[in-house]
Amino acid sequence: MGIKLKQGSFLWYLYLDKIYCLLSLRNVKALVEYFHILDAHHKDTLNDVLFYHFLHHVTNLKSRQIKIVFDMMDWMCVGEIGFDQFYVLVCILLSHQNHLEQQFMYRHSRPVFDLLDLDGELNIDAANFHMYRFLFGLKKQDLRDLFHDFDITGDRRLNYKEFKLYTIFSTDKSRETQKVVEEEEEKEKEQEKEKEKEKGSEKEKGKEEEKDKWKALLMKRLQTNIVSQKNAQ
Amino acid sequence: MEGEKPLKGAPKPSERRGSAGKATLTSHILNLWSTATLLQPQVNLSLAEICENFDDEGRDVGKIRRQKSQSLTPKPQELEEQALLDLELHGCNSIEGLPKKGAEAISTEAGKEPEGKRFPIVGPKWERRNRNPEKCSSESLISLSKNVPHRAYWTEQQNRLPLPLMELMENEALEILNKALKSYRSRIGKNHFLTKELQRYIEGLKKRRSKRLQCTA
Repeated sequence: MGIKLKQGSFLWYLYLDKIYCLLSLRNVKALVEYFHILDAHHKDTLNDVLFYHFLHHVTNLKSRQIKIVFDMMDWMCVGEIGFDQFYVLVCILLSHQNHLEQQFMYRHSRPVFDLLDLDGELNIDAANFHMYRFLFGLKKQDLRDLFHDFDITGDRRLNYKEFKLYTIFSTDKSRETQKVVEEEEEKEKEQEKEKEKEKGSEKEKGKEEEKDKWKALLMKRLQTNIVSQKNAQ
Repeated sequence: MEGEKPLKGAPKPSERRGSAGKATLTSHILNLWSTATLLQPQVNLSLAEICENFDDEGRDVGKIRRQKSQSLTPKPQELEEQALLDLELHGCNSIEGLPKKGAEAISTEAGKEPEGKRFPIVGPKWERRNRNPEKCSSESLISLSKNVPHRAYWTEQQNRLPLPLMELMENEALEILNKALKSYRSRIGKNHFLTKELQRYIEGLKKRRSKRLQCTA
């Protein structure tokens, strides 16, 4: 389900800031250069064919998904993607790579809302959200819960405030789960350390016992030798 | 005084400038390499002003720069002292490195990049490379600060992307573009102007890449 970037590709090397979910100036500069190299027709844009092959090469998205993404990003309906849209797409892809989907939606709730508001009616329809849920790492059940819990107006659509509320709750939830995961990982590490210590102490005990055995054997042999010598005398 | 001699002996850009285009730029750059020390003084010109002088095709718009440089009020001593101080304190000569806060403020809500975590090419190594202090002498500082084309060259060098990164980008782009070319041929035909344009572009990219590989080899 999750979008994955091809290992070793140029995008794979980019770094998305974990708090603001944006690229640094240096990374943007490199991305601009990359975009211009792909811009074979010198129009500062990528047409649908170039865009398709780019996404197909760099991600594991299917053809249908790539076409949907193109339609979404071509928000001016000119049949081409400019650098602004390209940058947004790269940030979305990198947020997937770094498991920052919720954080991305929270930090950029307005642009994401505008992207999902396909008909420009200042609300998101459940069907449209369902079509694009793969971009934001949402499962079917998550979407159902979203509309159930946050459709306050009850019109089966999300306006911006409702969407924003959802992003706030989801980031809080994801932070809590992350904390829980981190705590569990720490506990596991501690348990492993303790086990290693125990093993180490057991080994030491074992070694000491062996030493004691050898000592006892040696003493016996010495005693038997002494006794035999005395008897011989 | 060693720093002044080679620069005094260097031909002026106007003398070298024959035909516009990459030839003049490369010859200018070679000249700079052979004469100037590897010094990157603090540049007070903005990036926009410097980038004006070299367009995408490598034509040197030197006249405009010379006019500007003549109108600039020179403060070589202040420049020298400031640059030396900065070299000592920061070990960094780039525009991006010295006004570090300014550069980060420009990027929208930029965060900290981890050291060598995911981006070994562009991230810390690239930044460290650009921050390594080069040789410096007070005399060459003064002469370089006076000579604007040299400053612009070093600034441009400072802002270029690393070659391994460029290679990675170009190789990947070539693969993508070749696949796109196949699609063009199958959908709109070989003789369509877009197909031909793409084909020419791919050939140009391959030539550029092979030239660079030959140079590095």
